[in-house]
Amino acid sequence: MLLFLFPVAIVVALLLASFQKRFSSSNFEFGTLTQIKGIYINEPIPVLKVIAGKDIWGNASYITIPLVGYGKHGAVTAIMELEKEKNTTFNSKELTLKGTLLYSNGKTLLQFNKDENPVVNIGSTADSSLLPVKKDLGTQTIKGEIIDPKCYFGVMKPGEGKVHRDCAIRCILGGIPPVLKVTNAKGEKNYYFIVGPNGEPMNEAVRDYVAEPVSINARVVQQDDWIILYVADKKFTRISGISLYKSSTEIASCVGDCMK
Amino acid sequence: MGWNRQKKLYDWFIAGFCVLYLTTFIVVTVFVNPDYTFETVLIRSASTLAVLLLHIILSIGPLSRINKKFLPLLYNRRHLGVTMFCIAAVHGVFGIIQFHSLGNVNPFVSLFTSNTNFFSLSGFPFQALGFFALIIFFLMAITSHDFWLHNLSPKVWKTLHMFVYLGYFLIVMHVMLGVIQYETHPVFVLLIAAGALWLISLHLVAGRKEVKKDSQKFDVAKEGFVQVCNVNDFEEGRAKIFCIDAERIAVYKHDNKLYALHNVCKHQGGPLGEGKIIDGCITCPWHGYQYLPQNGQSPPPFTEKVSTYDLKIIDSKVWLNPIPFAEGIERPGAIINE
Repeated sequence: MLLFLFPVAIVVALLLASFQKRFSSSNFEFGTLTQIKGIYINEPIPVLKVIAGKDIWGNASYITIPLVGYGKHGAVTAIMELEKEKNTTFNSKELTLKGTLLYSNGKTLLQFNKDENPVVNIGSTADSSLLPVKKDLGTQTIKGEIIDPKCYFGVMKPGEGKVHRDCAIRCILGGIPPVLKVTNAKGEKNYYFIVGPNGEPMNEAVRDYVAEPVSINARVVQQDDWIILYVADKKFTRISGISLYKSSTEIASCVGDCMK
Repeated sequence: MGWNRQKKLYDWFIAGFCVLYLTTFIVVTVFVNPDYTFETVLIRSASTLAVLLLHIILSIGPLSRINKKFLPLLYNRRHLGVTMFCIAAVHGVFGIIQFHSLGNVNPFVSLFTSNTNFFSLSGFPFQALGFFALIIFFLMAITSHDFWLHNLSPKVWKTLHMFVYLGYFLIVMHVMLGVIQYETHPVFVLLIAAGALWLISLHLVAGRKEVKKDSQKFDVAKEGFVQVCNVNDFEEGRAKIFCIDAERIAVYKHDNKLYALHNVCKHQGGPLGEGKIIDGCITCPWHGYQYLPQNGQSPPPFTEKVSTYDLKIIDSKVWLNPIPFAEGIERPGAIINE
């Protein structure tokens, strides 16, 4: 009598498992520590600028790796503690950090744990030609979804949307810098860090808008291979999901041009 | 009433059902999504299995009222309930670890303070709904043992366990305000809607049948006896239930005789008339409590007793006297073929 429920189990499991949204291809190298050497830049987002030789035009080839702390914590406080421990400042210096890489969609981040001696080496101050190049792209209205980059680019699947909202808020409140994910009509995604008008953290200000379609009016600045949004009025406007999809083309194409 | 073969088989069935579901879900997910992560598959497989089990649990009561073929499902339903809680707890615990641990506040504080958008349907903090449902299932699981039934009294116990319907409502909202807003394929919303529709329909049909049964009129009365049915209506070892003067009486056929007892089991108020005779005892379909048909007493060393009634058979018609004898008083029963 009870056995008639067995086919029910198979059918329901098949349906639900088959039609889940596809998992993202993001990676979190859990358990693997990697040493990364780069120039540490602390504003507006703590990053390591990793120089990897020169391109065919003789310009420095690089990748900017934003830093995040352990768990749901940002890097700022941890870096300050490490600087105090080492009795020096890291800004603009060549720094070798040991941590866990997470990466997806062409973006790479490094998680480090301040309790596990992540600083391998502190080098000299970098040549000014290697410091970040900033380019002002003007003020624009951009539509997208606010995400926490640590989960989105590697730690969680999914690292976006309603189901992940609580986690994203907790990560952002823990100091991980918020990112605006913008999808254009072709489905291509671009990612922009969100900061205040003077580069100050906006973590608390975005908490009620995380994982929802929002519109942001911001000064767009390209800093090396990342885009930073300096939100002038610190205001976010909720929009519908359809509007988000259709109207995000402008900034996405702009960024495509900018990157050229 | 002990740990008999049927209960062991039931538990094996539950284990087999869960293993089959989890295996299918995990294998299909791994096959369709090569980029899967273990913790997400665990959280999703446990949650969907728990919701499926909850639907089965809530279907068993009305199904067995509609058709006695479903009574085997009712027999050990509490084990199914405890299993459902354990699987839901896996989902809940891993969910809290995944989404709220290693943050700047305690995970439980984080659960209630991360998303405070209580006045938005699209932004509502759905995880809190699942948490409260899990608390209800936890209370039900830890009080499922008879120790709590005796200490809380059957009435309080039953009231507590009716909170399963509140738990179900919270789970539906947890799903609707959570994963339904994330997943894009309509199968998710269709399945949860079909589940709700199924349960509501079942309860309405079963309720209507109960009302109809209770409102049956017995016009012909003679010397305090009421004519209830024909003697050929009975199946050996099974009962028919008659509601006379707002009291339900179970009439059982056993060894060429008919016996009448109060329909309500002393254990949890289960319907004795929906059970069957096992080893010469009327066995409650809910948890297997047993009573001797001739006197309504549980066999020693058990002490439960229910009221008995007088019956007689005249020209193949069954006559029942609705005035009860004291609990445990032996009655001779009515001989079917003299």
